[in-house]
Parts: sequence; structure tokens; C-alpha cells
Amino acid sequence: MELYEGGCDLKLLETLEGHSDRVWSLAWNPATGASGTPLVFASCSGDKTVRIWEHTPSPSATWTCKAILEDTHTRTVRSCAWSPSGKLLATASFDATTAIWENVGGDYECVSTLEGHENEVKSVSWNASGTLLATCGRDKSVWIWEMQPGNEFECVSVLQGHTQDVKMVQWHPSTDVLFSCSYDNTIKVWADDDDDWQCVQTLGEPNNGHSSTVWALTFNASGDKMVTCSDDLTLKIWETDNVQMHSGDGYAPWRHLCTLTGYHDRTIFSVHWSSGGIIASGAADDAIRFFVGNKDGLADGPSYKLLLKKEKAHDMDINSVQWSPGEKRLLASVSDDGVIKIWELVSLSTGNGY
Amino acid sequence: MSEKFSATLRIGDLSDFIAPSQACIVSLKGLKSNSTKPDKAEVSTSNKQLQRDPVKISLKDCLACSGCVTSAETVMLEKQSLDEFLSNVSKGKPIIISLSPQSRASLAVHFGISPLQVFKKLTTFLKSLGVKAVFDTSCSRDLTLIESCNEFITRYRYSQSMDDESCKSSLPMISSACPGWICYAEKQLGSYILPYISSVKSPQQIIGSIVKHHVCQELGLRPDEVYHVTVMPCYDKKLEASRDDFVFQVESRDETCENGLRTVEVDSVLTSGELLELIQLKAEDFKALEESPLDRMLTNVNEEGHLYGVNGGSGGYAETIFRYAAKTLFGRDINGPLDFRTVRNSDFQEVNLEVEGKTVLKFALCYGFRNLQNVVRKIKSGKCDYHFLEIMACPAGCLNGGGQIKSKAGQSPKELIQLLEAAYMENVLVADPFKNPLVKSLYDEWLEQPGSQKAKRFMHTDYHPVVKSITSQLHNW
Repeated sequence: MELYEGGCDLKLLETLEGHSDRVWSLAWNPATGASGTPLVFASCSGDKTVRIWEHTPSPSATWTCKAILEDTHTRTVRSCAWSPSGKLLATASFDATTAIWENVGGDYECVSTLEGHENEVKSVSWNASGTLLATCGRDKSVWIWEMQPGNEFECVSVLQGHTQDVKMVQWHPSTDVLFSCSYDNTIKVWADDDDDWQCVQTLGEPNNGHSSTVWALTFNASGDKMVTCSDDLTLKIWETDNVQMHSGDGYAPWRHLCTLTGYHDRTIFSVHWSSGGIIASGAADDAIRFFVGNKDGLADGPSYKLLLKKEKAHDMDINSVQWSPGEKRLLASVSDDGVIKIWELVSLSTGNGY
Repeated sequence: MSEKFSATLRIGDLSDFIAPSQACIVSLKGLKSNSTKPDKAEVSTSNKQLQRDPVKISLKDCLACSGCVTSAETVMLEKQSLDEFLSNVSKGKPIIISLSPQSRASLAVHFGISPLQVFKKLTTFLKSLGVKAVFDTSCSRDLTLIESCNEFITRYRYSQSMDDESCKSSLPMISSACPGWICYAEKQLGSYILPYISSVKSPQQIIGSIVKHHVCQELGLRPDEVYHVTVMPCYDKKLEASRDDFVFQVESRDETCENGLRTVEVDSVLTSGELLELIQLKAEDFKALEESPLDRMLTNVNEEGHLYGVNGGSGGYAETIFRYAAKTLFGRDINGPLDFRTVRNSDFQEVNLEVEGKTVLKFALCYGFRNLQNVVRKIKSGKCDYHFLEIMACPAGCLNGGGQIKSKAGQSPKELIQLLEAAYMENVLVADPFKNPLVKSLYDEWLEQPGSQKAKRFMHTDYHPVVKSITSQLHNW
């Protein structure tokens, strides 16, 4: 039985305090949560620090802050991302730099600092193989860096295309295609054409795109669907041809599939698609919402329905929501209220999520 | 003002690279597409200003502000526009025009004729407007190259002679001809990079110096009486011409105006595209124009009427200095083309000279912002083993400058570059700058020899780190 058929609930497992300013973002370490490795995630904040949190297995089953990464960034740390191997953490800061941290026996060492952005760096993302890193920021540019031996990073491209602040960059989960979204209301898709990277598609208002700032984007598990969230109070689902995308037979364009409208009444800052197909959104109304594909309505084309809305999940704006890796339906959320919350989405009919 | 602005906007998407940033000290209504759309207060930004009147900013403002990296295309170019040029034409000032070989190639591709024909027809066209002479910056570039060769040998020997800290900043030597790069280095990178940059002026400023300090004297004119215009592939050249370093006091024999006039080496810069605009404005059937003889005084044209110059669409700095250094330092004559090897992409190429199994010369061409970033990072971390870097801000170098004529409908940027590269050396004989008779006589009559006191005074310049303004820091708070 699907989780949501019998209704479900969002259970708060823990509230983590420690940051002394708003928490902007978090990232689960993808190499944790399986085969006995305890879950780990990083959170970053306006207090200029990054905190590393680790789950302590039973009996107490709580979260502890294992490390505080400080004295490197001189301003807000806006975004963080683990490399696919979980060995490196990249952090993007308003101090115009991106730092690369390596976990050396539990100690996090800053092994490289990427300079180049003119001012605030807003987001950072690793590609699927961990060889490329993308950053973006208020200078309207998107940068692609290639990892070299010895933790050296070379800039392979500086992409000018957005006309405003770029809010987020995100690599496709399986191909080396980069997505960016901006205050200019568009999503841009970037691909390598042998010698340099090019914008291969712009998803804007004329293509059923957003009519205000696009804050975040995320992919489904198979990588043929993407959801974007915006200040225009909608979520938009996009799709592409999975077969063409992986055949290497040219670029597979993305098209608008549907718009989830009427569910949000404040800006949606964050959206994340779980491996099990549940979309979570975090918004300026302090609520977390969950959406799933609606199997009943296929006659009218694909549609998505609201599964659950958690009011007052935080006391202030929710800046990021992220599903954990591993078996459990764990979700972490961070907010302007300065705390991190760990939730579990549980099915009411069975009392747990399995 | 506004119609002029849209003309500059037309080239705005030519990724010549970074547009005015939010930290610009002048509130540029309309230039920065200010939006009043609410945004989450991630940081305080300055884009909430709403001003109805157009704001004028001079290139001097631009140079002094640490807000932008390079900005020339998108700001109002009051002093450097076609209108300004036309108004000087109508005033009847003696006008001298110096044409870059990249602009020649751009017009040649546009009209489908040879660069030599372009040069001769342009001479006809410009003289019909009242221009006195049309010169060629390949000529002054030969002087830039000779001074650069001389500077390189000095730096190389210095770096070999001592082993202390001070000689660390002698190499790599970095070319100085690209104003976008200079602007970026002064504003974003600052003092650690500037000592590496060659002190030799760009071909534009060298021809400016020759025209205003030497030719004027020969012609019996005061430097401020002559209006000197260059035609360049690049908008940032306008910024270069506006630098305070290239303003000088007119030395007057007339005692009464002893602290009077200040003038500049280059009064105005037009881009290749603006020159085309001028041709179209005058409704000339360009291809049907007569071909006038070229002004030989400062033009690389030989007795038989052939153009000559060095290889390389961005000025041939790495190639010329490499050959000269190989010969001078190691007695190696390199015949045939240099073996440039693509390193990461076509805009990053290197060439090495090995002597007894040891790499003694390592030069690179480094074009475009991304490649520039990487060498700069290497220099900063002390891991740069190049001896010379030819850095140009534009991908594909100067032939692809932001001021070049845009590609025609259906023509890809890559196709256009290929056409420009082919046209660039069409009709041009490859010649050693040291054998240029015009440059030789400039040294004989005026500058003495490469690196002399006189050459230092007229052919070299300085760079200054731009201190971050309080305003830009506040905006970046």
C-alpha cells in the first residue's frame, strides 16, 4: 500500500539549535545513512558558520553537532553541497568565495578556496561524478569549475546569460547538464559543446514558465522530471525525453508539464523531490507541504495533489527542505528562526513510514 | 542620449564580458535593469533606486569606481561617440585616424572585399569627410612589440640573476594591450598582479604618443590642435584612451600658456561597428568608392604597395617575443610556425622552448575570462611557471572584440571568427618588427633605442590598483 493512501502525518523528531542567525541551507551527506553509516548533514547560516550534524544511533537516537566550520568565511554562508562520495563539502558565501572542505578523520579542513565571483555567491552544486562544481551569484554569472588532482580547481566556464541575481545552480542527477534559476524569472539549461558551455534552453514565462523569481529546482529519481518553485506562488513540473537524454543523440529539451497553483500564498523558497516520488516545499508562510503524482486523474493528463500541509513548521520563513538519503522518509528543514528541524513523514494507517 | 544608449545596447549581448555591477557608484537608471520586484532580503542591494532622468557617467567615473569590472559597452560614452566625432569634423579640426588591422578585417569580411581594398576605400571615404591622414596601428604595434621584447629580456635576465623575493614579480610577464584585462587587474585583482604586467603601452596609445608627441611637431601643429581618432575592435579601448596616464601637458614655446593646455594621446575611439555606422550614415556605397593611396608616414605598407605586419589576430605578442627571446637568450632561430599546443581549450595554448632537455621558455596565449581566471589563480598561489602570458579578455582574442561588426543573419559566431582570421592576414606579408623602416626611423630620429629614457617616457606607462570605494563596499555589505 502506498504511504499516502491511508493519509499521513509529519512527525517532528528533533529541533536542533546552535546557529546564532538564520539558517539558509542544508545538505545531507549522500554517502551516509546506508549500511550502518550514521546519517550526516551540514547546515549553513547567516552566522558565517557551517555545522556538521551526525545522527547518533540508538538508544538515545539524537543528533549531535560534530563540527563547526568557522573562521574561513567572513560573511553569510548561503549554500553547501557534498561531493557524491561524501568526502568533500563545498560552501558558498556572501564573501564572494566558495570553500572546499575535506573530512580528515572527523576534522574538516579547508583545502581550497575558489575566488572569482564579483560579490555574493548564492549556490553551489556538484555534478554526478564529482568532477565538476558549479557556483552562481549576485553578479548574474554561473561558473563551472573542474576538479584537478591535489584539490585544485580550474575554472572551465563563466556563463553570462541571466540578467539578474542567480539564486541556485543544480546539476542534473545523471548527465552533465547544469540548471540555474534566477531573480530574472527564468531557468537556464547549460551544456558543454566541446569547447565551451552554452545555454541550450531558457525556460521563461513565454514557455509557461514562472512570472517571478525562481528560487529552487529539483529532479525526480529518474531525472526525466524537474520541479521548480517561485515567488509567483507556484510549483512547476517540467519533463524531458529520458531515452533521448541518455542516448547522446543531441540535447533533449525540457517542456512544461503542469503547474501546481493555489496551494501556496507566500513565496516558495525551497523544493525537494524524494527518491520515493514525494515533493516537499518550504515557503515564506512557515509551512511545509507535500505533493505526489495523482494516479486517478490520468485522463486529464498528469496531475499532482497535495498530500499534506504542515502549518507553523517553523516560526519564520523556511529557507530549505531536504529529504535524507537512506530508507526512512526523513526530512530536514531550516529557517530564518535559526533552528533546524528533523521530521519523519509517517503513514497513519501503519503508524510508520514503511 | 537615449537613442545613443540603445545603440550601445545593441552590442550589449556580445559577452565582452561583465556589465556594470550593482556596485556602480552612479545610479544608472535604465542601464541596470532595475526591478522593484520584492526580493527576500538576502543582502541589502542598491537596486531600489528609481530615478527618472538619465544619468551621465564619464569614462573617468568608470575608471575611478571599483564597482564594475569592465563596463565600457553599457555606459554612456559621451566623449567617445560618433556624434562627438562628427561634431569635430564639422569644426574643421585637423583629424588623424589610426585604423587597427582587426577593424580592417572586420570591414573586409562585412563587405566581402580584401583588407587592402578596405584600407584604400576608407582612406577615400574619410578624406572626403575632411580627415587629414589615415594611419595603421600595425605600425605602432611593431614599436610595442620591440619595446616588449626588450622588456622581456630584461625581466628574464633579472629573474635568472637573483634568487630573492624581488625577482619573483618579474616573471611571468603579462601583455598589456588588452584594456579589459588591465581594467579587471586594477579593479578586481589589485597590487599583487600589476607588477607582472608589461609597462609597454598598447599599440593604440603608442600611435597616440607618436601622433601627438612626434608627428605634430613635424607638422608644426600643437598636440591639442589635432584631433586623433583610433578605430578599434574593442569598446574597452575607449576606457583606455580616457586614462589619466595618457593625459599630458602641452609643451608650448609660447610663454603665455605655460600651465595651460592638457591634452590626450587619443581623443576618441570608434569601434569597427561604429565606423560601419558612419559609412551607412553617409549613405556611401562603400564598395564603389575609389581606392586612394595609403598614407605611408605611419602605415605598414612597402614600396610595392603590400601591407606587412606580424602574425596573430590579437597582436602576436607571445609569438614575437618568443622568437626574439629564443634567438637573443639561447641563440635559437625558429623557422616556420611556432608549435602552439592547445592546453584546455582553443583559447588556451602554450609553446615551449627546450634547451638541453630543460624548458627554458614557456609562453601561453590565454583568451577569455575563464582562462584568465585560472592563470591569475596560479600566479596568486605562486604556481605559475609561464614566462610570458598573452592575456586577452575576449574569447578568441581581439578579432572577436566586442566592437567588431556583428555576424550576419544565419552566420554563426564561429564561422565569423574563421572568416576574420582568414581575412586578417590576407594581403599582409609577415615581417619582423625590428626590420620595420618606419619604426627604425622613429628610433633614429626620436626615441634613440629600445628601452631608452625617451622610450620609457613616451612608450611605457604605469598601472594603479583601484581602491574599493566606500560606496561599493557599502553596496556589498
